[in-house]
Amino acid sequence: MKLYSLSVLYKGDSKAILLKAAYDVSSFSFFQRSSVQEFMTFTSQLIVERSEKGSRASVKEQEYLCHVYVRNDGLAGVVIADNEYPSRVAFTLLEKVLDEFSKQVDKIDWPVGSPATIHYTALDSYLSRYQNPREADPMTKVQAELDETKIILHNTMESLLERGEKLDDLVSKSEVLGTQSKAFYKTARKQNSCCEIM
Amino acid sequence: MAESTEEVAVLVQRVVKDINNAFKRNPHIDEIGLIPCPEARYNRSPIVLVENKLGVESWCVKFLLPYVHNKLLLYRQRKQRLNKDELVDVTCTLLLLNPDFTTAWNVRKELILSGTLNPIKDLHLGKLALTKFPKSPETWIHRRWVLQQLIQENSLPTFVKKENLATFLTERVQRIVQEEIEVCGEAAGRYPSNYNAWSHRIWVLQHLAKLDIKILLDELSSTKHWASMHVSDHSGFHYRQFLLKSLISQTMTDSAVLEQSPLVSEHIPDLPKDDNEEDTSAEHHRVVDLSRLLEDEVELSTDLIDNYPGHETLWCHRRHVFYLQHHLNNKLPHSQMRLSPVDSNGGTLHDLNLSPAVTHMTQAMDVDGLNDSNKQGYSQETKRLKRTPAQDSLGIEMEHRFIEQILSTCRNVEQARFANAYRKWLVTLSQ
Repeated sequence: MKLYSLSVLYKGDSKAILLKAAYDVSSFSFFQRSSVQEFMTFTSQLIVERSEKGSRASVKEQEYLCHVYVRNDGLAGVVIADNEYPSRVAFTLLEKVLDEFSKQVDKIDWPVGSPATIHYTALDSYLSRYQNPREADPMTKVQAELDETKIILHNTMESLLERGEKLDDLVSKSEVLGTQSKAFYKTARKQNSCCEIM
Repeated sequence: MAESTEEVAVLVQRVVKDINNAFKRNPHIDEIGLIPCPEARYNRSPIVLVENKLGVESWCVKFLLPYVHNKLLLYRQRKQRLNKDELVDVTCTLLLLNPDFTTAWNVRKELILSGTLNPIKDLHLGKLALTKFPKSPETWIHRRWVLQQLIQENSLPTFVKKENLATFLTERVQRIVQEEIEVCGEAAGRYPSNYNAWSHRIWVLQHLAKLDIKILLDELSSTKHWASMHVSDHSGFHYRQFLLKSLISQTMTDSAVLEQSPLVSEHIPDLPKDDNEEDTSAEHHRVVDLSRLLEDEVELSTDLIDNYPGHETLWCHRRHVFYLQHHLNNKLPHSQMRLSPVDSNGGTLHDLNLSPAVTHMTQAMDVDGLNDSNKQGYSQETKRLKRTPAQDSLGIEMEHRFIEQILSTCRNVEQARFANAYRKWLVTLSQ
């Protein structure tokens, strides 16, 4: 069970703004790592843009699960994990991180922030500690706050999109993704990764 | 931009040479990968070496692969001569791009048999190929052929006898076993439920380590954390089932243990190392507390099921472990469960005179115990379970309570479904 990324974003009126992120791409092949990281940024932003304020959701895409929590004040967090990682712990982590972040970083900085300007350094250590869900926090069997029935489950990224919108188009237009990542996306889309030669 | 035949030939020669040079420049290359790169940059080699990682830019593959593939086939058809070095380079390039190309591995087999190629090189090449293609069946198959060559050709014994008549695996074999375990572990981490990697690991324990009890125990403890962090990895848990089954069979062949009830095995004092009065069996005089091991495994299963709801693998594993516990409790000295080393696949093929092809076929993988004599007696097993002593009904009672506890507290739909299925299965056991 793995965590791949942990990001804090702000849901603006039209766009989601990345404030801070931590990544663990060590389990990916060396030459894929930078593309994978870019994709996780892209995905996190997209998910926050398409989620309502005051909601929690889990979005499944292949063998990944993206857990998102958008608070009513627009502060949002995304955890990208594999499908073994217990989602309950992922949401506990998001709650904790956003709570801490909101106390350390002024609200006024959120709509205009970026990873370079925001002063919040705890994400890397959270990501690393929570790799083992048991060592991170004692898992409370009954989490009073979290009502699991309210978590929206999406079976694909596609279900987040507007009618007629295609993920392929969003990828080509994205400013977050470099040319190599876009090429990577194209070839990955075409093939069944099982028989991959190219 | 259409490439002329000459241009392609020149390009390919250059790439093959670049790959070769990269290996020479850095003998510690430990990973290969494809770099998505739709267009060539002017006059730059598509071979990229960063730290210990070798990358091939994707644009060149469509020229490279068909060309070297063709070249090898022409050689095979005797339409083109290739010297030994060229063969090594061409097959190396081919296999890094497509390690399931059996012909290339077979050419290397010939080179190894003729003494031109060091078999260790193929272990290294295979390990590299597995970083990109962790499942590749042909790579694992060839690997087993190479390992058999290594064990056989030097006529080095697998076992050494020490003063107390116990036998141990030679250091060389132990090193090989550890390396194989590491390769399997890596490949298992790169692809979920990597059946080929785990099967290879089983084969290594059966045919190289000869189900040495110490190694079985070490593997059981060293894979515990991995399994706990990969709760959906069927193959990983199947491996633990194999370890437990093997420990049971290996321990049970030791006649001293057969007389004892497994339940009191913890009271058997450790046999002193220089005890020459014991029988001269080739097994370690190691006391394995089987029921304790199985109890620990049940505890692991309970812990994981509680903390990670909704993973079918964990429930399947529990069934296997519970079933093994039942076999242990019902064990009779002449039990069908008994597997002496001679019965298991590798034992009788210890001799050196079989040709590689025959050895390869006869040392077929027996991962699921399909060749076990006891597997035929499934209905006999269940009949034996009917005669459960008090011990067993207590065990089943506890399992039902466990299921109740899960069902009453779980909020995961899948978890409830698996718990119910497990309950039904338990009921069929006592019918």
